[in-house]
Amino acid sequence: MQHAVELEELGMQITEASRFIEKAEEQLSRRVIGQHDVIRRIFIAMLVNGHILLEGVPGLAKTLIIRTFAAAMNLKFQRIQFTPDMLPADLIGTMIYNPKDMEFYPRKGPVFANVILADEINRSPAKVQSALLEAMQERQVTIGTQTFPLQEPFMVLATQNPIEHEGTYILPEAQIDRFMMKVIVDYPSYDEELEIMLKSATNASAAPVQPVVQPVDIAKARALIDLIYVDPRVQRYIVDLVVASRKPAQYGIASLETMIEFGASPRASIFLLLASKAHAFLQHRAYITPEDVKAIAYDTLRHRIRPGYEAEADNIRSDDIIRQILQHVQVP
Amino acid sequence: MNRRSEGYASGSLKWLVIVLFAALPMLTVCALPVAAWGAVSGVTVTLAPDSVFVGDRIHCIIGVRHPANELVALEGIDSLSVQPFELISRKQSSSIVSLGTAKESFEFELAVFGSGRLLIPPFSVVLRDSEGKVIKRDSYRSSTLVLVKALTDSTMREIRPIKPPIKPLLPFLLFLPVILGVFAIAGLVLLLLFFLKRSVRTSAEKVDPGQVAQRKLRKLRSRLSAGMPPPECYEELSNIMRSFLETHYRIRALEAVTQEIERDLKKLGVAGFESIMNLLAQADLVKFADSRPDAEESRQSLRKAEEVIRSARPSLPPEE
Repeated sequence: MQHAVELEELGMQITEASRFIEKAEEQLSRRVIGQHDVIRRIFIAMLVNGHILLEGVPGLAKTLIIRTFAAAMNLKFQRIQFTPDMLPADLIGTMIYNPKDMEFYPRKGPVFANVILADEINRSPAKVQSALLEAMQERQVTIGTQTFPLQEPFMVLATQNPIEHEGTYILPEAQIDRFMMKVIVDYPSYDEELEIMLKSATNASAAPVQPVVQPVDIAKARALIDLIYVDPRVQRYIVDLVVASRKPAQYGIASLETMIEFGASPRASIFLLLASKAHAFLQHRAYITPEDVKAIAYDTLRHRIRPGYEAEADNIRSDDIIRQILQHVQVP
Repeated sequence: MNRRSEGYASGSLKWLVIVLFAALPMLTVCALPVAAWGAVSGVTVTLAPDSVFVGDRIHCIIGVRHPANELVALEGIDSLSVQPFELISRKQSSSIVSLGTAKESFEFELAVFGSGRLLIPPFSVVLRDSEGKVIKRDSYRSSTLVLVKALTDSTMREIRPIKPPIKPLLPFLLFLPVILGVFAIAGLVLLLLFFLKRSVRTSAEKVDPGQVAQRKLRKLRSRLSAGMPPPECYEELSNIMRSFLETHYRIRALEAVTQEIERDLKKLGVAGFESIMNLLAQADLVKFADSRPDAEESRQSLRKAEEVIRSARPSLPPEE
């Protein structure tokens, strides 16, 4: 009973602490029309120190969302356009020789920011991708002999174009796994499209975005997220979902056995739990329900489950596999 | 002179007996070749085989003993090329038999036509001296017969025995009824399964999910009274409600979260769905938010659940 009271108090604190999200969302809605799910996923990733891989055709306001998000969250934003001729030094920085004092000085690259938009990450060679993904993992960068920690919060939002694969360097599975979520940016609805058209087809400058969040708000939110209660049933449910992607027959989905080349890694369980907590936080709850898990399951698992040859032949995507898993694994 | 000739005769007889004894085992071993003496001694005609089919070949060996200083030739042998014989090839060889005596062997390969018992045609043996003058010309008519069998269906088979076609171990026609039978049995089984499934479904439909849920709730209440911990009671209550919703409204409830059930029930326009959602939300709090209701709260929830189920079942008679 005492624990329940604690959770109730925590719930109230969460409601209070999550107000900045609403403020930021309000600022975002000035510039961005629709794409609520994408924005929510960005908030979730930011709250649990995750990175996002955004996939969508050009012109869906991916850059605008991230830029506006950074502005509203009062975070330093850097956009890096990945190109085939890019070098790791273009990203992390390099040592510059100063002829006055005849010494080398480190010159920090664009990765030293809070929110990094790695535009078309698959256009750059593997060594540049590795440099960024290493920075994402280690949260520090070494230039010459000096190691520099990256600013907190540090968040990478990488974009990929799903329709152009000519001359691209596809991210290896091990590196894709480092992204907490892979979010599919879809087309806006009819009404949203209409609103976008009317709002954008003007010579007037776009509505200004006010920074409404302080770094301390994010730190506080992160601390509260760590306190969110996760019942053992939900813990097991998360593990069940991940294991079902590896051994579907155990969960009564034997038809998926040949459809999956490899299932989700243990990182999937970790990120599912973290993202569920952040989702519960956004719902002003001090505990996770299976609803939170289901809500972010697609985004957290889709890049971690690789459909096999048979699935590709039948045009079955990882989202279809996840749907089947969610439909067959019993909710606690 | 007579004695002398008698002596010669008895000597030749002796030789003949010796030759016959010597030839007997050969004739016994090689039964087929037939040896026949011509009308004049010193000329032998041998045929092998003595029985052939029309068109087959025979070997005819004509041996002529003669003084070593004379030359031997056969004449009229070309006439062998007249029907029913056709000369295929010929060979000639000579050997010294004894001092002053030589033997000339003429070997003919002949193709035989016609039918029945045929005699080798007559031929002449010509002896010439060393200068080529004809010394002697003797005509011979061999009594050696060759049996030529005509080709009939049966003989054709004897010549080239044609293997009968290999019959399959189980001919298709034998299989066909078996296959048809298997299909018929499979069809019958499928039909039976179909009817069985339908009857099971019908009987399951006859069992009212509300009745099942009510029975489970009554059991749960008695277990709660017997000291069941309230959190467990709520977990059980949530399962009963989900099973009921799944079977009654035909929605996926056991694998769905509360919010999904809410969406489905809203879509269906279920009356009193707020009460259902309250119950599920309360159960969720117990399950996921570590909420600890007391026994009285649990009893109230059970009563609410029974009401919800009863209201969803208009045909259910009131509980006693």
